Amino acid sequence: MTGLVIRRLVQLPVILLAIYTATLSLAWLVPGSPVDKPEGRRPSAAVIESLERRYHLDRFDRFYGSYLWRASGARWAAERAGLVERADGGEPSPVFDLGPSLQYPDRTVNEIVGDALPVSVTLGAAALVIALVIGVTAGVVGAWKPGSWWDAATLGVALVGISLPAFVTGAVLILAFGVWLGWFPVGGWGTLGQMVLPAVTLSLPFAAYIARLTRMGMIEQMTSDHVRTARAKGLPERTVLLKHAMKNAMVPVISYMGPAAAHAMTGSFVVERVFRVPGLGEHFVSAVLGKDLFLIMGVVLVYSTMLVLFNLASDVFCRWVDPRFA
Amino acid sequence: MPLVLLVGLLAWSAWSDDPMPRADLTVVERAEVNTLDPARISWNHDIRVSRALYEGLLVPDVTSADLALVPGAASSMPEVSDGGRVYVFRVREDARWSDGSAVTAGDFVYAWRRAILPDSRADYAEMFMPIRGVSAFRAVREAQLAAYASGGDRGAAGWAAADGLYGEALRAFEGMVGIEALDDRAIRVELERPLPYFLEFVSFPAYFPLPKRVVSSYESIDGATGEVRWGVGWTKPPVFVGNGAFRLERWRFRRDMRLERNEYYHSPGRVGVGSLSVLNIADGNAMVTAFATGAVDWTTDVLVPYRAEMLAARRAFMEEHAGEVSRLRSLGLDEVEIVRRLPDDARAHIHEFPSFGTFFLNLNCSATTDGGRPNPLADARVRRALALSVDKAEVVRDIRRTSERVAGSLVPPGSITGYDPPGGLGFDPERSRAELVSAGYPGGVGLPELELLFRKDAGHDLVAQALKRNWERHLGVRVRLAQVDSRVFSDRVRGGRYMISTASWFGDYGDPTTFLDLSRSTSNNNDRNYTNPSYDAMMDAAGLLEGSDRMSALAGAERVIVERDLPLIPVFHYTQVYLFNAHRVRGLTTHPRQTQMLPALTVSERAGGGVRGGER
Repeated sequence: MTGLVIRRLVQLPVILLAIYTATLSLAWLVPGSPVDKPEGRRPSAAVIESLERRYHLDRFDRFYGSYLWRASGARWAAERAGLVERADGGEPSPVFDLGPSLQYPDRTVNEIVGDALPVSVTLGAAALVIALVIGVTAGVVGAWKPGSWWDAATLGVALVGISLPAFVTGAVLILAFGVWLGWFPVGGWGTLGQMVLPAVTLSLPFAAYIARLTRMGMIEQMTSDHVRTARAKGLPERTVLLKHAMKNAMVPVISYMGPAAAHAMTGSFVVERVFRVPGLGEHFVSAVLGKDLFLIMGVVLVYSTMLVLFNLASDVFCRWVDPRFA
Repeated sequence: MPLVLLVGLLAWSAWSDDPMPRADLTVVERAEVNTLDPARISWNHDIRVSRALYEGLLVPDVTSADLALVPGAASSMPEVSDGGRVYVFRVREDARWSDGSAVTAGDFVYAWRRAILPDSRADYAEMFMPIRGVSAFRAVREAQLAAYASGGDRGAAGWAAADGLYGEALRAFEGMVGIEALDDRAIRVELERPLPYFLEFVSFPAYFPLPKRVVSSYESIDGATGEVRWGVGWTKPPVFVGNGAFRLERWRFRRDMRLERNEYYHSPGRVGVGSLSVLNIADGNAMVTAFATGAVDWTTDVLVPYRAEMLAARRAFMEEHAGEVSRLRSLGLDEVEIVRRLPDDARAHIHEFPSFGTFFLNLNCSATTDGGRPNPLADARVRRALALSVDKAEVVRDIRRTSERVAGSLVPPGSITGYDPPGGLGFDPERSRAELVSAGYPGGVGLPELELLFRKDAGHDLVAQALKRNWERHLGVRVRLAQVDSRVFSDRVRGGRYMISTASWFGDYGDPTTFLDLSRSTSNNNDRNYTNPSYDAMMDAAGLLEGSDRMSALAGAERVIVERDLPLIPVFHYTQVYLFNAHRVRGLTTHPRQTQMLPALTVSERAGGGVRGGER
C-alpha cells in the first residue's frame, strides 16, 4: 500500500510535466496574440509587442521555461534559499506562482483559482453526496425484487439521469422549483438555498450510474453463498440486505467514486453556467476562448493534479475495503 | 453519515460566504469587469461600473437631451484660452476620495502621467496625444528604455540605474508635457492645437484621477527592463479607493460587485440609491430568469434566442394601447416615459434603444489577397456593386427582427449633436449590375469566387446567408461563406487575409471622428487596408475648422467612404436592449450614445417590497 502511494506520488510530477508540455504546445498554436483583444479597439503594435516580450509570449522556449520555473515552485525555493532576488517590490511570491491573468489584468491566476476552486469543490462534493444517497437507495430498492415494478422504475429513472444533459435538467429544475414553485433562488452562489438546485443537477448522472452499480452488485451478492447462509439462519430480510449483501456490493461503487469525484469537481462547467455558480469550469472555457495562456495552464495543472490525487485516493480506499485488489 | 457530511459541508460554505442584505438596486452585466484601472478600461461594462466608482473632472449629464458635459469633480467648466489651446480645470474644494482624503490636482496629474508613460501600456494613451509634448515625451521614454534593455541584465546595479532613469523621465515629463498642477486645485492643460472634442476625452475613464498616495505605493522598478510596474492589489477591496458616488465594498470575481454610497461624495443629492449590486451573469437565459423572478432590476443586455419574440410581445402590448401611445408620443415623450404612463405589464419590461454602434462589412482593399492572388475588391466599382446589391431592410426585418435601423453611414444618425451623416448607397440592383459591367465583370463573369468571413457564435450566420443570396442573385457572383472561431477570425481580419468580413464598431466619444478615424490610412484599426491620401487630407482639413463648418467637412469625408470608395458597407445600426420595469427604475437615458450613469438611477420599492430581502 505504501509502495503504491509513493510510486504514484513520484509519478505525479512526471504526469504533470507531460500534460504541461502537451497543453502548452496546443494552446500556443491558437492563432492570434494572447495580449490582443479579439474585438473592438486594438492596442497598437508596439504595445502588443512589448507586452509579449514582458510575458515571454514571443518565444515558446522562453515561455515554457519561465512559466515552469515559477509554477513548479522552483523560483520560490530559489528565492527562499537566497539564490535569486525577489522580483516585484519585495512582495513575496507564492509557492506555486501561476502568473498573471491576461484577460483580467487586476488579478493573478493564483487569486482566480483560489476563489473558484473551493466553489467547484463544494459543488462537486455536495453533488457526490446527493448522488450516493439517491443512487444507493435506488440501487438497493431495485435489487430487492429484480424485475419488479420498483426495479423497472428505478432503472428507468437512472436511464433518464444518465441520458439527459445538465443544461436540460438544470433548466427544468429552475423552471419547476425556481420559477413556478419559487422554493429556491434561480441562480447565484452563497446561501444554502442557492446550492441545492445546482448540486442536484450535477448529481443526477452520477446518481444514475451509482444506482446501476449498486443494483448489479446487490443482485450478484443476493445469490451468493453467504447471503443464502444468512437467510438460512433466519435473519430478517432487512439485515440480510443492508448488512450482508450491501457491504460487498459497495466495492464497485467505491472504486467509481475516485474518478466520479474528480469528474464532479472539474466537469461542472455546464451546471456552473446554467446556475451562474462562480466555479473554475467557466474560467477554463473562457480562458481557452480568450487564449489567456496563464489561466489555461493554471487551470489545467490544478485539474490534472486533482485527477491524479483522486484516482490515487480511490485506489487506496478500494484496497483497504477489499484486499484482493492488487 | 453522508447526510451529516452534506449538511455540514453546505452549512460551512454558506456560513463562510457572509451574505449581505439585498442592495437597493441590482444590475446585471453579461461579462465580468476586466479591470478598474482607468489606464486599462476599455470595455463598455468596465466603463459603466467605473463611472460609479470614479468621477472625472467633467461628467455626461444623462438628464440632458444631448448628453451634455457638466462639472463632476471640477467646480466649474474649465477656463479656455489661447483660441481653445489652453484649458484650466479647477477641482472642487469638497472633492474627496472614499477614504476621506482630498482629491487634488496632483492626483489627476499623477493618473494622466501614468497613462502617458509607455510603461503602463494604457489602452487609451492616444487620448492624451493632443496634449503638447506627449508624443515627444513618449518617444524619449521609449528610447531610454530601449537603450537600457540593450544593456543586458545588470542585477542590483541595474535596479538603481533603472530607478535613476525613472527619475529622469519624470523630470522630462515636467519639462516637455503640457500638463501642470498650478496649485492643489488647479490643473493647466496645453494642447498642441485646438481640439473641439477635447472635453469629451476629459470625461472618459482614461482621464479619471487616481489616489496617488495609494497607487504609487504599488509602483516598482523592473531591474531587467528598466520599466516602472504597478502591482495589481490596488484595484480591489479593501485597498481600492475611488472618488465616485459609490465606494467598492466587495468584489467577488465572476460573481458580483457590491457598491455602497460613498459618504464623502460631494453631492449626495446626485446619488439615487444607497447601495448597488452588480451581478455577473454570462448565460442569457439565466439573466432573463433572474429578471423575471425579481432578483435583478436592470439587465444591460438581453442575449437570448427568443429576444425577437419578447420584442414582438412588447409591440403587441403597445398596440393594445395604441391610442394612448400616440397621444403621449405627440406630447414629445420618449419611449420609456410612455411606458411609464401605461399600466404596468411584464411585456413592456423589455426596452430597445438606438445605440452608438454600427454593423458593417469590411472589404479588403489591398491589391492582392492571401497567397498573392489579385484582389477584385481593390476596384472601388466592385465594392460599390457589392454595396448596392445588399437588401439591408430585409436583413433588419427578417433576420435581426428588432428595431435596428438600416445603415447608410457609419456614424449612427442622431447620435452626435450637429452632425448629419450622409445617406450612403441604397438598395439598387440595377445600378449594382452596371457598376460590375463597368469594372469588366458583366453578370459576374470573370469574377473569382468571393469569400465572406464571419465569426462563429456571434449570431451572424443568417445575416451571412442573406448577403450571399443577395450577391448571387443580383450580381451573379459566387460567394463562399467561411465561419471561423473568433480567434481565427480576428487573426485573419487583422492580418488582411480575407476578402469580405463582418465587423462592428462602437463609438467612444461624442464626435464623428470616433468612427471616421477608422478609415484613415494610418489608423491602427484600419483592417481594410484602405489608403486614400485625399480622405486623410479631408479629415486633417476638417480638424482646422470649427462648429458647423467642421461637421459638414466631416460629413463630406464620410461621403467618400460610404458613397464613393466603400472600403466598408454599413448594414445596420445596433440597438441596445435592456430589461427593466420603467415603473420602478428611473434615470436611464435613451440617448443613442448609451452612456449610462449608475449614480443617476433611482428605484422605487417593489410591490410587497422586502419579501425577498434575505436573498442577494
